[in-house]
Amino acid sequence: MPRIELKNITKHILKEITLTVEDREILALVGPNGSGKTTILNIIAGLTDYKGEVFFDGRNMDKTPPHMRGVGYLFQDLALFPHLTVASNIAYGLKMQHYPEETITARVDDLMNALHIKKLRERYPQSLSGGEKQRVAIARAIAPFQKILLLDEPTSSLDAQTSKYLRIELCTLLKKLEITAILVMHDLLGAEEIADRIAILHKGAIEQISRPGDILFNPKTKMVSEFIGMPNILDCDDCRILSSGLIEVVSGNMTIVLPYEGNTIRKIAIPPHDIYISDTKPPGPALNRYRGTIAEIIPLRSMVRIRVDIDGNSLLTELSAEAFDEMNLDIGREVFVIIKLRRLRYVEEFEDSRE
Amino acid sequence: MSFKRLSILFSVAIFCLYAGLILSLLYFYKGPLFLEIILSERTLFSIRLSLFTATVATLISVFFAIPSAYALSRFRFPGRQLIDTILELPMIVSPVALGAVVLIFFNTPPGAFLQEKGVQFVFTIYGIFLAQFITTVGIAIRLIKAAMDEIPVRYEEVARTLGASPAKAFLTVTLSLSKRGIIAASILTWAKALGEFGATITIAGSMAMKTETIPIAIFMRLASADIEGTAVLVLILVGIGLGILYGVRFLTGRNVPV
Repeated sequence: MPRIELKNITKHILKEITLTVEDREILALVGPNGSGKTTILNIIAGLTDYKGEVFFDGRNMDKTPPHMRGVGYLFQDLALFPHLTVASNIAYGLKMQHYPEETITARVDDLMNALHIKKLRERYPQSLSGGEKQRVAIARAIAPFQKILLLDEPTSSLDAQTSKYLRIELCTLLKKLEITAILVMHDLLGAEEIADRIAILHKGAIEQISRPGDILFNPKTKMVSEFIGMPNILDCDDCRILSSGLIEVVSGNMTIVLPYEGNTIRKIAIPPHDIYISDTKPPGPALNRYRGTIAEIIPLRSMVRIRVDIDGNSLLTELSAEAFDEMNLDIGREVFVIIKLRRLRYVEEFEDSRE
Repeated sequence: MSFKRLSILFSVAIFCLYAGLILSLLYFYKGPLFLEIILSERTLFSIRLSLFTATVATLISVFFAIPSAYALSRFRFPGRQLIDTILELPMIVSPVALGAVVLIFFNTPPGAFLQEKGVQFVFTIYGIFLAQFITTVGIAIRLIKAAMDEIPVRYEEVARTLGASPAKAFLTVTLSLSKRGIIAASILTWAKALGEFGATITIAGSMAMKTETIPIAIFMRLASADIEGTAVLVLILVGIGLGILYGVRFLTGRNVPV
């Protein structure tokens, strides 16, 4: 079973990267464009030269060519072979590795069943939808019994709903296959749903590598905090379960209502762009709506960050520069703050911080 | 006149030029003489020789062109630009000059040694193979490279991660996907070889019933003022050439850039 180790890897933007992915672990590489995420995958697959060392289970792979590394790779553009049917695409790797015909047939059938693409068997890639192509490409990448799987933006080309559905399926499949996987993802939320650990990359260096919730609630550097959208982290002082699948959380003098999923809530993360500001009292029920005072205005390129004091809590919000100009806001002005209920994220607590 | 009509007019004018020239051959058409020339032993030999040598030269050209085109399409290596430029040689240098270069080479010590100890090229059928090969291989590489350039390298990378060696990835993916382009390139190479004249006459000469291909036979008949015979042979060459081009379009389902 493969444990992947990268030691002092240097290539293009990557600078002396050292990283270990444990056996059967799912690691997500997250970061802005050009941070070196895909380069790391290419290095592990052996598709590019590099300085440094790569080990699989302690075995140095630097001189091993890609076809002998046993690494499945789901490329971002999928690159399904256009001249082969779905079944032949999936069977390709097995044929290249000279598996007996009956093994090939059984494996192809198994994977088509697992990924719900059995009806596509004789179709050609050109006639498939985005989601179908994604499933076929996943099946093809893992078909030759690979024990390492690299996935470059596995759900980026799909609509939000299909993407979420496939992420859940992918997570189940990876765990079932007992495979070591490294995913490149551009959004933290998606990565959190699949990965055991998340590494945040920036300009070729790993800024932080932690378990999913830890990144959001304990960003180690300013870059990570900026990248995840500078969320407002509120401590939960008290909780009260409401009858309608909601939970009321008290943080300082604020009372916030969240969807309740049976967890013990310790902290809440609210991204600034999920907090709206209004200079007039908004209509509708008073749920998650507060009155506050502008404490700080931070103009950025196309937006303005505004810090609002609400009953002893301080919340960072975001407004587009245009909206800010129209509203004519200033420090000390009283405003109404609305927190989007559905977008609130919270963690129960981390194992190492459990009391 | 609209730009669209004007541009169409230009293409129709070019068509009329070629069609008119071909039709003018029929002015000298005399039924019985036409058949007599076609069925003459000398003409039939020329047709057979042309078809055979063009086929062999094409096979050799494509055999060399496929790996060369792949290397030029996929790899960056020292001298790549130089090789790429040299491939233009048959297009910028007259075939007669190319043939002359080959003849001169055979008069140097290594060339003479090759002729004595290896294959006798000058004034033999092997000279025709060589003449057609040197004038077509560059074009074959160009056309096949263009077909391979259209196949993304990514397919080969996928194949490599699935366990295919570089050679297997090439055979099962790139070669397979550029199959139509290679067939089209082969047919056009064959047509070019069939019509080759300058280098062939320079290296292999114009010996009747020995090295007289159709283009050489046309030249010989024209030189002896045999207009009817020339017209018949030109019609045969044009007929084969057009048939081949239609074949290409039928196989590829699109217009082939030459």
